[in-house]
Amino acid sequence: MADAIETTLPTQQLEAMKGVKKVPLEEFFTSGHRTCQGCESALVMKLMVKAAGPRTIVLGSTGCMYVANTTYYSTSWVVPWMHTQLGSSGSAGMGTAAALKVLMRKGKMKEEPINVIAFCGDGGGADMGLSAISAALTHPQYNFLILLYDNESYANTDIQLSGLTPYGAHTTFSPPGKAKRIMHRRWKKNVAGMLAAGHPECRYVATVDASYAVEMMNRVRKALTIGGPTFIHSLDPCPKGWDYDPMLSHELGELAVDAGVWPLYEVENGLLKLYGRTKQIAEKRARRKPVRDFLLKQGRFAHFTDDDIDYFQAKIDEMWTKWLIPGVIPFHTELDRDQPPA
Amino acid sequence: MGRLFAVEIVYRGIFQKNLAKNISRGIALAARHAGKMGISFGRYGDSPERNGIPAKSFAVIGTDEETLQEGMAKYEPKEVDVSIAVDDTLFKGVESWAWYGLQPINRLLRPGGTLIVTSMNGPEALIPMAHRKETPYRLAILKGTPSFSGLWVYKDDHTDVRVLGAIAKVLPDLFTIDDVEKAILEEWSAPLKVTSARKAHERITTRVVSPSEGNLEKTFEFELPKWYEMREGVSIPSIARGAAMTDPVTQQTGGYRPVRNPTFKKYTTRTMRPVVNFDTCVKCTLCWLQCPDSCFDVTPDALYDANMEACCGCGVCEAVCPVENCVTMVNETAFTDNASQWEMWKKDKPAYAAWLQEKIQHKPERSHGFRYRGQYEEQLPPMMEIAGGAGPEDESDKEG
Repeated sequence: MADAIETTLPTQQLEAMKGVKKVPLEEFFTSGHRTCQGCESALVMKLMVKAAGPRTIVLGSTGCMYVANTTYYSTSWVVPWMHTQLGSSGSAGMGTAAALKVLMRKGKMKEEPINVIAFCGDGGGADMGLSAISAALTHPQYNFLILLYDNESYANTDIQLSGLTPYGAHTTFSPPGKAKRIMHRRWKKNVAGMLAAGHPECRYVATVDASYAVEMMNRVRKALTIGGPTFIHSLDPCPKGWDYDPMLSHELGELAVDAGVWPLYEVENGLLKLYGRTKQIAEKRARRKPVRDFLLKQGRFAHFTDDDIDYFQAKIDEMWTKWLIPGVIPFHTELDRDQPPA
Repeated sequence: MGRLFAVEIVYRGIFQKNLAKNISRGIALAARHAGKMGISFGRYGDSPERNGIPAKSFAVIGTDEETLQEGMAKYEPKEVDVSIAVDDTLFKGVESWAWYGLQPINRLLRPGGTLIVTSMNGPEALIPMAHRKETPYRLAILKGTPSFSGLWVYKDDHTDVRVLGAIAKVLPDLFTIDDVEKAILEEWSAPLKVTSARKAHERITTRVVSPSEGNLEKTFEFELPKWYEMREGVSIPSIARGAAMTDPVTQQTGGYRPVRNPTFKKYTTRTMRPVVNFDTCVKCTLCWLQCPDSCFDVTPDALYDANMEACCGCGVCEAVCPVENCVTMVNETAFTDNASQWEMWKKDKPAYAAWLQEKIQHKPERSHGFRYRGQYEEQLPPMMEIAGGAGPEDESDKEG
């Protein structure tokens, strides 16, 4: 029986979409959810499950995408969906994949590949649920995707800061004052880089941005097709917490990438690839925009002085010029110096 | 037993959260100067608020403590003396959460109560939007651009104190304009805000709305399932899969229309709606693909028709559209129904083109929150000019 437990089941073979004209028309996350106008995370839900298709089970940990989409006795999901506790997207995703596997092995369910996606917000994923996600990524015999939708705060409960809130941002927990302007001095966690580096058996980790919808959906398809536990981190502009006109959601998603604040990359079977705009910037085919353009379109940074903006820019520059792998691995090495002379 | 007063503020979630809080707090403070005591609170059921989704806050005032306590023994007031709509498109109704259905803006107003609204429109445009009420009520229009900002940066266009000045006029038993002045100086130490409140107090006029006036539409409502009707594990059925659409003229089928959540429609969130020029559309898919609310139906001729029962008016479609003036956001007050634009275009293209040109004239002169630093400072002078609030001449008076 040990073999039955260790074997992996086949996955759905989902092909990459070649351009917007190839995007399927069908929706599996539909209208009638109580999210903000211009909610980018709702767009992520729509695109995620559009890419995955009808034979998919979605699990959602507590956060905006639970509370707003599934208001009491009401739903916007076309596919089966279940709520799971704040920190348990990792365990719920793995448990569901394991349950499907055992039901099929015992003949209680028809054998077929079913996508399992567990989503979590930045609070549920990067703060509370990090250990469960980490544990889940060490079990290569189960097929499921964990998608972290990162709106950079506990947005559902009206914007408290999380481990993924950027430096200096105005939140309920970090209101700028007259005596002290910057109330949040911690730098955002590098979750995708951390999980990719720390889980060598995990076959796929990626960062995505829904402003680049087709590229985002193709990353979801690749993660589900490649099998085993996989992880995707999506940056979602949030009109409520970032404080901007909802019409700008798409533009801010693009600006985050253009300013180099949000690098797009994937680590597939241990091979790192930058993609999209980030690749163009890295190859010097496109210029990185100043972070000022990104920051000053958001009310949460309205209190920034020029010095604050310079500091933010310097940290982003450091990520691109000093990191061992720009945008991915933050430490430096002294390998060159340690090399013995030939 | 003394007298109990109740005021509700109906506002756009997040955009007007700070504004509504200032108004309901200001009411309680001004009432204290009038020798009464009161409390201001947000409706629990509206939290967590979402950008644009209608929300309410209340101020309940008693002439003595016992009366106030009796008034506060309820979850929220069942009847109010004054309703305040800080955005005129709320006149089309309020849908706050799933299963609540659509509630008329004047639902809680007691007979003879006053509905105060900030609007650029006159009564001839506003009254037909509000649902009919069995008893007469009064309408007071505070002329001005509805004030929208966000959670962190407040646009201080004096709408808060102008509403307080208007309340003192329509309900003088609650507090007078002198009480409002004391409350403003105490809370904001801003003499200019006093000027704005006094000007609003002088200028506000009311008009009686009779039971024969208003929108005849029947609001939609739902029966919540009883506990014994719920399924095992309190699971609920998912939304059904969508299907192809049919062309009303050629009967050709194709495209895709999703089935939508029947218990929450979201369209009362909208303050503007997209109108589409189907003749210039290049079928790039972006409006449909980038819409967070899946509101676009894909037609058999591969066009994208924004479904007006599902659209919440965020404006992303206009922002992503690569063709100039193909998708245009138009003030919601310019429409009386949620009919399909594509069907109208299919049936009569010249008539649709004329309709479209007329609608595009109603491009709203309001921004929905923060766009860049310094924007609110630029917007304030013209907004104050329209509103007839304190202007630069008042400032020089003070200095002189």
